[in-house]
Amino acid sequence: MNHKGKKIADTAGFYLISVLMTIIVLIPFFWMLSTSLKSKGALMALPIQWIPEEPSVKAYRQVFERFPFIRAMFNSVGISVFYTGITILSASMAAFAFAKLAVPCKKVLFSLYIATMMIPTQVTLIPLFVIMNRLELVDTYGSVILPAVFRAFAVFLLVQNMKSIPNDFMEAAQMDGAKLGYIYWRIIMPLSTPAIASLSITTFMESWNDYLWPLIMLSDKKKMTLTLALNSLNGQYNTDYNVLMAGSLISMIPIVLVYTAASGKMKNGLMAGGIKQ
Amino acid sequence: MKRGFVILLIAAMMLGLVACGNTNTTNTSQNTQNTAGTASTSENAGKTDNSTPTDSAAATDNSTAADSSAADAAEPVTITYCNFNASGGNEATLASMYEAFHEVYPNITVEIETVAYSDYFTLMQTRVAGGTAPDCYELNIENFASYAAKGVLADLSASDTSKFNTTALSAFNVNGTQYGLPGNFSNVVLFFNKDLFDQAGVSYPDSSWTWDDVQAASEAIKALGDDYYGIYAPITYNEFFKVAAQFGGSLLNSDKTMFTINSAENIAAAQMMVDRILVSNVQPTSEQMGGMGDWDLFESGRLGMIPTGIWAFNTFTDACDFAWDICVEPGQTQKATHFFSNSLVVNASSEKKDAAITWITWLASSDESAQLRIAAGWDLPAINNQDVLNGYLAITPPENRQAVFDSLNYLVVPPIIEDYSMMADIITDKLSAAATGTMTVQEALDAAQSECEAQITLK
Amino acid sequence: MKQSKWKSIPFLLPSLLGMVVLSLLPILIAIVLSFTDWNGLDKLNLATIQNEFVGFKNYINILGSAEFWQVLGHTVYFIVLYLPLAMLASMGIALLLNKGRKGTAFFRIVYYIPVLTSWVAASLIWKWVLSSKYGIINNLLALVGITGPAWLSSPVWAMPGIVLASVWKDMGFYGLFLLSGLTAINTTYYEAAKVDGAGKLTMFFKITMPLVTPTLFFCLIMSLINAFQLFPQVQIMTEGGPNGATRVVVERIYTYGFSYFKMGFASAYSWLLFVIIFILTLVQFKLQNGWVHYES
Repeated sequence: MNHKGKKIADTAGFYLISVLMTIIVLIPFFWMLSTSLKSKGALMALPIQWIPEEPSVKAYRQVFERFPFIRAMFNSVGISVFYTGITILSASMAAFAFAKLAVPCKKVLFSLYIATMMIPTQVTLIPLFVIMNRLELVDTYGSVILPAVFRAFAVFLLVQNMKSIPNDFMEAAQMDGAKLGYIYWRIIMPLSTPAIASLSITTFMESWNDYLWPLIMLSDKKKMTLTLALNSLNGQYNTDYNVLMAGSLISMIPIVLVYTAASGKMKNGLMAGGIKQ
Repeated sequence: MKRGFVILLIAAMMLGLVACGNTNTTNTSQNTQNTAGTASTSENAGKTDNSTPTDSAAATDNSTAADSSAADAAEPVTITYCNFNASGGNEATLASMYEAFHEVYPNITVEIETVAYSDYFTLMQTRVAGGTAPDCYELNIENFASYAAKGVLADLSASDTSKFNTTALSAFNVNGTQYGLPGNFSNVVLFFNKDLFDQAGVSYPDSSWTWDDVQAASEAIKALGDDYYGIYAPITYNEFFKVAAQFGGSLLNSDKTMFTINSAENIAAAQMMVDRILVSNVQPTSEQMGGMGDWDLFESGRLGMIPTGIWAFNTFTDACDFAWDICVEPGQTQKATHFFSNSLVVNASSEKKDAAITWITWLASSDESAQLRIAAGWDLPAINNQDVLNGYLAITPPENRQAVFDSLNYLVVPPIIEDYSMMADIITDKLSAAATGTMTVQEALDAAQSECEAQITLK
Repeated sequence: MKQSKWKSIPFLLPSLLGMVVLSLLPILIAIVLSFTDWNGLDKLNLATIQNEFVGFKNYINILGSAEFWQVLGHTVYFIVLYLPLAMLASMGIALLLNKGRKGTAFFRIVYYIPVLTSWVAASLIWKWVLSSKYGIINNLLALVGITGPAWLSSPVWAMPGIVLASVWKDMGFYGLFLLSGLTAINTTYYEAAKVDGAGKLTMFFKITMPLVTPTLFFCLIMSLINAFQLFPQVQIMTEGGPNGATRVVVERIYTYGFSYFKMGFASAYSWLLFVIIFILTLVQFKLQNGWVHYES
């Protein structure tokens, strides 16, 4: 009985905290939704309109009317998928080497990786643009996707995770004469699925929301991403908050879908890893 | 082994850097040659252009110029044009302007890129430094002077400027050289909420008002209730240099060799702005604003007056459910009105300067383009043809649109210097310190004066 | 494991090549530029660099200016408030979601929503949340009779306001990584501990915490590096105000580089920032032996 009571208290505590957190997280978000449904004059009315008195979807219509929405969406999906794929492949290979293999000058090299993240991108922007220009990648999808090859953040994350994988698995396989490629693909990768799933989500999201770099690289309107298109709704002198919020909400939908799919993978991946264990 | 690898890595990087540098230098020398070449042809074409200033004549002129110079007008050319002003709703208008242009000049194709204002200048700077700037583009006043001083803009002195408003044109003339054409034009007028004036029993403002009248009206409106305010004029550099002019002051001496920020006139101007907040509180403090915008406050119907740009017409028409109108901004010892104009410029290293000049001149000053602009309610064209501008008066609200044109008699040109943004930031910083009461107005302007002198070298 | 050092090169190659071309090269150019007066508009090439070389002038000017130390102070103030809050909140989220109770799938999406929001939208939302008059926080405080601070319009409260917004936005981000660290813990450890009769608390401190430390370490380093480069939220929420109270290092770098056309000066600023971040990160890496637990 006592044990049962404790369990109920435990459950109640869990849901109390979870719901409280949900409220904290969602109130600002709720305002975003409410703003997107308001007409312009109602934005600063007193008393505050928590729920718009005359909700209208005009802002949403404007988002769809002002630019080729489907085309921009298609570009964004394409770029983000390739960007994420390349990041995962390149970073997991490098992380495997750093975490599990002997690498010449490992410490120096790894420090270099981490150090590259400490320079504000504001000052490397123009040099990087000049390099892209030399590589003749300006105004190509490549210029936006190629930087995925080197992502110190992703390498660092995967190194930290792969370090927690016991070496026994690898040693056993190597004893059986398995090649490094096999160990990487068949043992380390499956065991890193939770980290890779969370990395995919983050990477996809970053690529999806990325603004400044695609803006500078892509001048052809046909290559415009959704984030670029949404930002073009702002004028020089004022911002239509309702249109901006409507656009932000629409643009979040695809990432939420990716997130839902990938976070399911985190569980499945664990099970796959578990079977091998 | 270890060391060898690192050395190899560094060597590879250096090699890459040097290789990049080498190709770079050869490219530049080529570019300068090219630039010199095109510059001379554009001058020739420009001279012939100047003798026949009308549009259609210029078109035929271009083809005669083609016989003498390397036949570039007859051959189809494609130029690139980048702008921010059309973003946020006027892209379609710009496209229709281009269609009209292309009918007159079928041999010139313009690739238009419209970019949101917020990151436009980061983008443009990167492209200019990277050597891939478009043939012609748009700059705001803050950036224009810096670009011109750094030599990245082409001299447009030879272009046909006969149809422009001369004050607007003069803003983009740096030491006698025309580096930009005024692409659009907006000025600032006093907007007022008629309903609040009625409630407070005060007569509506008109062009005879001074800031003293505004103060009296503001106090009457503030008395209407707790969350009501008389006026909102931002405590910023932009507002300040205009109000200073209304008090007879200025930020620089007449030949722009000295700062005169802490002059007696300027202090009187700043004192009035600050007292509205700290003394009579007819203008809300930033705390009372609660982080909202000044337009939002006006739209909510709790603000009596706001001096702001005519670009607010469309927004206020949409958003205000009360009666409002405009008038010429009050002055003090004299009248002075703001204008905002973006400049259209040509890339100094473009190889198609002629076509670029033809396009931006047409875009900024042709009757066709001006009419399209007015019909769309997209700022004003900076032209001197009153017949075209009259179409603008037909649209209401506001009823007193004539005030927009009346204000043109009092335009004040911003003090354009190379380090414009830095000067503006320093002054805004000090003024906002005065507005929160951490400094007196005198201390703030003294500090602004000495900091500008220390940081900025005037030429 | 024993094998030749060079066998790892094929795995590293794509990433290494990318690093040299897309990261080290631009960084090297930025180092060189920090010794010049480059305005950020002149065409970037060797001739420009040679013509505008000024030696250590930029560094001397920055270190001698009161402004650098001031904005550094603001940045450090942000970090001191932000780091512990962000780490606690993300760890809390990860532990909550790791319980695997009913509804976890829903909460997992909800907690990630702030991360998905762009900073432009999030900053605008928080400007409203923190608004002294129209904002939810002060309106709630008023219900219980407390007059809330002016937040973003007060020099004292503006930075804490930005910290709140940043924690709200980032906790799901680091929470997700911590959660993946938690799920990766081999369940056999817990089973073995249960057999030994270990209580819940013991299991948490003896198994869960040690095994999640590598991920926690990652989150700590990343949030430190990112916090030093704090910028977009400040730019939109306060523009460095009021009275410069939220002016931070990267805001200065951006302003000098892209608004005042002193890109050489801005590069020197970044290098000084780099040195500071690098030293602090190095210290963290040295200290990790004391608390971070790796499988061996």
